[in-house]
Amino acid sequence: MKSSLSVNHLLGIKGLQLRDVELILATADTFKDVLNRPIKKVPSLRDLTIANLFFENSTRTRLSFELAEKRLSADVVNFTSSSSSVTKGETLIDTVNNILAMKVDMVVMRHPSPGAAAFLSQHVRSRIVNAGDGTHEHPTQALLDAFSIREKLGSVKGKKVVIIGDILHSRVALSNIFCLQLLGAEVMVCGPTTLIPKYISELGVRVEHNLRKALQWCDVANVLRIQLERQDIKYFPSLREYTMLFGINKALLDSLDKQIVIMHPGPINRGVEITSDVADSEHSIILDQVENGVAVRMAVLYLLAGKNEK
Amino acid sequence: MKLLLRSVKILSPRSPFHGKTQDILIEGGIITAIEKSIAAPRGTVIHEGKGQQVSTGWMDLHARFCDPGFEHKEDLNTGLDAALQGGFTGVAVMPSTAPFMHTKSLVEYVIRKAEGKSVDVYPVGAITQNGAGKELAEMYDMQSSGAVAFSDDKHPIADAGLMLRALLYSKNFDGLIMHYPDDRSISGKGNMNEGVSSTRLGLAGIPAIAEELTIARDLKLAAYANSPIHFSTISTAGAVQLIRDAKKKGLKVSCDVAAHNLLFSDKDLDTFDSNLKLMPPLREAKDIKALIDGLCDGTIDAVCSDHTPEDVENKKKEFDYAHFGMIALETCFAVANTAFSKSTKSDKDAILESLIGALTDKPRSILSLALPDIKVGAKANLTIFDPNKEWLVAKNQLRSKSANSPLVDKKLTGKVIGVCHKDQWHLAR
Repeated sequence: MKSSLSVNHLLGIKGLQLRDVELILATADTFKDVLNRPIKKVPSLRDLTIANLFFENSTRTRLSFELAEKRLSADVVNFTSSSSSVTKGETLIDTVNNILAMKVDMVVMRHPSPGAAAFLSQHVRSRIVNAGDGTHEHPTQALLDAFSIREKLGSVKGKKVVIIGDILHSRVALSNIFCLQLLGAEVMVCGPTTLIPKYISELGVRVEHNLRKALQWCDVANVLRIQLERQDIKYFPSLREYTMLFGINKALLDSLDKQIVIMHPGPINRGVEITSDVADSEHSIILDQVENGVAVRMAVLYLLAGKNEK
Repeated sequence: MKLLLRSVKILSPRSPFHGKTQDILIEGGIITAIEKSIAAPRGTVIHEGKGQQVSTGWMDLHARFCDPGFEHKEDLNTGLDAALQGGFTGVAVMPSTAPFMHTKSLVEYVIRKAEGKSVDVYPVGAITQNGAGKELAEMYDMQSSGAVAFSDDKHPIADAGLMLRALLYSKNFDGLIMHYPDDRSISGKGNMNEGVSSTRLGLAGIPAIAEELTIARDLKLAAYANSPIHFSTISTAGAVQLIRDAKKKGLKVSCDVAAHNLLFSDKDLDTFDSNLKLMPPLREAKDIKALIDGLCDGTIDAVCSDHTPEDVENKKKEFDYAHFGMIALETCFAVANTAFSKSTKSDKDAILESLIGALTDKPRSILSLALPDIKVGAKANLTIFDPNKEWLVAKNQLRSKSANSPLVDKKLTGKVIGVCHKDQWHLAR
């Protein structure tokens, strides 16, 4: 296996080749071992400074990145602005250049606008890691999801994965589709017709609007959070009705004639897209995902930093 | 001024010299001779036009000069320079100024400022006050001051009742309503064409149906009102078909297409180039084919520039925060010509003739303007161009005040050579 990524930034899964994903997952294996040692820190990124720029609310992704950076001995600065600098009249390029002027080596950015990470990579001189750009991509989430499926089921290839929920507004769904397809899984999306993009099947995914049929088909169900904050208009009448149609509960899982794996990128709306007894059941690998997230992000940062040195 | 255009091929179906390579002598702004070979009188500027063609001067139906209000993006002077560079001798300017061109004083401002320029300027007044889509503007007053048609530019009129009243009322003075078809309750916050590309990019889509629903509605309204209607910058295959069917039924409908919608598709947005964030959005290959077919069979009347200057602050930013539009006057012909040369159609001469018709007689006819002629005794209103010449669009050669063009550093086929109008000869850069 090659020891270097084909890209200089992680903007999305779309730009990656299979060998890149395999390299990241293999590197994450090593870091996961490290994380289970008594001393969890390695000196790999000592002397590097990484800026976490979060122009949109995030707790777990930011914490996960920050922890990954600290485990790699990088120096970390955080910038959080939910209202975004746009309201102050400063452009994104200016904000980032200001931070880079303070000698920052890498930027991890979350931003509400699709393509913001790609835009930044075209205009500033730094390694960029996309931590979610609007409704476009969230590549590290897809990588950690793939890592978790591989860990649980042995491999991703040939597995059937259904992504359930608001596909229209989900960067997790899009990155997962690209990543799982690259690794040879079959992908289905399931959700209300108003929240499934009209042309999604042209990406080579199946579309199902019946939750039971979708669960019956799959090996893994990746349940998305209903993100009401992203919906400026109503796509379904009420959360109650959403739960009636697309909520996963224990009785439904028990009625299937097989065991499936339940995933969720968090944070969970308990009782909406998934009930507590499912989230906390043996079906669920939700907390494994969180743990793996740190290892996968360490791998991404480590591999991109390695390109930096050349 | 005396000018001799030597060995230029005349492309003008109404001219007795159509298809012939001739010398054209122009004296004092009047064509005084068209012959196989003319001896230049003393003091004549001679232009060697071998391999070049000449048509009547081009007319753009849809440009913005941002003047008054946004002079940092463009003003009438730079806009008209850009028009000349693009081969245009006439430009209809949209009311997207600040304030919105909805009164006679604003129409008069534009007309006065364009006096003495080498390009004819035709103001298009607003249909509604401030372009807000609520109350009708004083269209007759504006027409009396020189407005040639009425449009709210890229602010579609959502209220069907208001649209009907505009169509009915403008009949009192033979005013033409030009409408940009887009149902905003469907296109909403869309940033690009809805399709597999928008799905891949996670960008909110503008579905074709948002355009087609409005056209279908307006065709019903125009039929009911028995009024003419013009659709500005159509972009979908469905739109072409709706208008083709309406024309067959005898409705008084016309339409235009922006040149860039013939060349680019939504696939070109993969790098999030905000200079390709356009309204209407770039559609798909099937739409491009339908638009070119529509131009060749006469369904689409005119090719326009949809020239939209934007400053760098509004373009060099995140895609969904960037403003819509590109500057296009200087590249309009080349873009359409390049698109045509890429199409699978075999009769290249007929295609070029369709394109030139869509830049000359047809847009002027839509606005009921007098048509220039290429004959002895006529005023010289001419554009000289080379449809086969390849050129590189260089940023420092652009005359527009803005540079928001996705074509910078790109190669195009088809070059404007020069323009002769109002007794002046302008060689393009």
